[in-house]
Amino acid sequence: MRTFVLIAVLLAAAFARGDETCLSPYMPKITGQEDYVYVWTLGVDGVGDGSDKLVTVGANPKAPNYGKVVSTVSVGGRHEAHHGDFTDDRRFFWAGGLDDSVLYVFEVAADPAHPKLVRTIDSFVRDTGGVVGPHTFFALPGRMLVSALSNERDQGGRTAMATYNNDGKFVETVWMPDKAEYGYDVRVQPRLNRMLTSSFTGRQNYMRDFGALVADAEAMKHFGNTMVVWDFHARKPVQTLEVPGAPLEIRWALQPRHNYAFTTTALTSKIWLITQQDDGSFRAAPVADIGDPKKTPLPVDISLSADDRFLFVDTFMDGTCRVYDVSDPHRPKVVHQQKIGAQLNMVSETWDGERVYFTSSLLANWDKKGKDNEQFLKAYRWDGKRLAPLFQVDFLAAGLGRPHIMRFGQERFYKNQIFEGS
Amino acid sequence: MIRPTLAAVVAVAARALAADVSSPERLRRVDPAALGYTYAVGTFAPEYAPPAVGSYTLPVIQGVRDHPLVDADGRPTTLFALKHGRIAVVAFVYTTCVEVTGCPLGNAVLKRVDDKLAADRDLARRTRLITVSFDPERDTPARMAEVRALYRPSASWRFLTTRGDADLRPLLEDFGQPVAKLRFADGRWSGLFRHVLKVFLLDRENRVRNIYSVGFLGPELVLNDIRTLLREAPANPPPPADRPASRTMAASAPPPAGARGPSPRRR
Repeated sequence: MRTFVLIAVLLAAAFARGDETCLSPYMPKITGQEDYVYVWTLGVDGVGDGSDKLVTVGANPKAPNYGKVVSTVSVGGRHEAHHGDFTDDRRFFWAGGLDDSVLYVFEVAADPAHPKLVRTIDSFVRDTGGVVGPHTFFALPGRMLVSALSNERDQGGRTAMATYNNDGKFVETVWMPDKAEYGYDVRVQPRLNRMLTSSFTGRQNYMRDFGALVADAEAMKHFGNTMVVWDFHARKPVQTLEVPGAPLEIRWALQPRHNYAFTTTALTSKIWLITQQDDGSFRAAPVADIGDPKKTPLPVDISLSADDRFLFVDTFMDGTCRVYDVSDPHRPKVVHQQKIGAQLNMVSETWDGERVYFTSSLLANWDKKGKDNEQFLKAYRWDGKRLAPLFQVDFLAAGLGRPHIMRFGQERFYKNQIFEGS
Repeated sequence: MIRPTLAAVVAVAARALAADVSSPERLRRVDPAALGYTYAVGTFAPEYAPPAVGSYTLPVIQGVRDHPLVDADGRPTTLFALKHGRIAVVAFVYTTCVEVTGCPLGNAVLKRVDDKLAADRDLARRTRLITVSFDPERDTPARMAEVRALYRPSASWRFLTTRGDADLRPLLEDFGQPVAKLRFADGRWSGLFRHVLKVFLLDRENRVRNIYSVGFLGPELVLNDIRTLLREAPANPPPPADRPASRTMAASAPPPAGARGPSPRRR
């Protein structure tokens, strides 16, 4: 009888809460307090060694390294470090450079405090048949799905998705469909066998100086205005949705029966809701403005809480995080607004909803200049009403660079330890 | 069908745990959330009709080598001898697993695939379901036979273990199936493993063509994938009938042709 009770407890535990909310659903989540924040960081000439690097910052308030840089792994040179994520078993962290399309694989499982660079894949463009600008890394069982932004031939927005196996061997390329050729984020909802992709711009735009780009009316025409709904298993596009103004990050709702996703449009400053209809098709509709769209606040990263209640929206130009109550996804309401810094890009929320982390850098040539070029990792506690500062790391003063995407790590997870309660 | 199967699995796991876990009292004091891998709840329970057979392609993900195994009757065999040119669905489990998103789910899905295969003799002849334990210490051939009796496979489902870690480690590394013993803080093994559920679809040339995990492991999808692979031109003719397992280790398949070149999906 005792054993049956134990088993019942174990079965009930399968859906316990874990860490950050935006990870691939194929990836197991760490539970409880994170020990580290891994920050994929762009190198800056004259700052430290000037190289792109993976920075590990202590995040456990009970540890002596709380809020401090624990380790760094430079990859040598500047490659426009941008996004990255873990493999499906969380043992390796893959990251990419948008400029020269090099992929880096760091092992984190062996020593979570000191990730090691174990593989460099410099054949991405050749492997994929001319895809450029690896963006989102999305773990699939035994594989890594990599969305991209551009192509080798004209450096424009026509692009594709690539798949590698976990050993770093190329598997396949899937090009974006005609009339929806731009790419950016990719997110899968396995329960629906649906994959969503969004669209940004090509290398000739994203590597350009932001001021010059905005002043170039012709160049500004070359941004994506579409999202694509895919049959994930078949990797076939089934529907193109008109979402004008460069829809960027995609977040599927996380609760059962919530058959919808959010995105935000960078150039038109709106929250869009992508909802599955009764007939199985999807519909995209703008459901809220983000700040004053006329001022182009440039919404960038978003984070959806595990209970699908809060959507955190960062806007780059005003350095502000707006928290929307999206309990009714059709009617988001701003419940909190807070300036985080002079510029703001990525936001990562813990699964328990209690901690929110921010970084500042968008792209090397798009970040602000002069004193507004703040480069930070900032941690906050979220109590459902306001964001209270916990710690911050000045990435320029620390000789690190421009911090971009964040992911969480935990010693206990990788050491396969369990602890008895009192 | 899954519910009674899961109940039976839990019963077997309970007996095994009672027999093998040295400190069940210690396990009861553990935060349940720490015992298994955790996934987002909204990604389970498939709510879609799989794409039609042959309407898609499955790219080559990786090749695998042959590996020595031991069947539930204690006879030595190998992976390729069991496959014998068939398509195979290979699941790695341990019989005392109680994670609802782990081995019980994998076994339950294979049970349903086995039932479907039993109703299609031609498909069953071309397919092999293979469950391999990664806990050879406790999952002896006798234990695997007990599990086999529980599931009563009606088609071509086989239950295997290995002679020990020396055979098991290369097998798991080859497939990319990490497992780790879940330990108490003092280093003692809890009796449980931490592992990501992965079920591998192997084509006739012993190449991995799909890897199923939580949220995407459904019997209809697996069957459609098997039928889709069978529509490909076979490199070797299908076996005429079930043959006795061979002890000879077969040569590894050549590197997958599609792994570096244009895939069928590439434009």
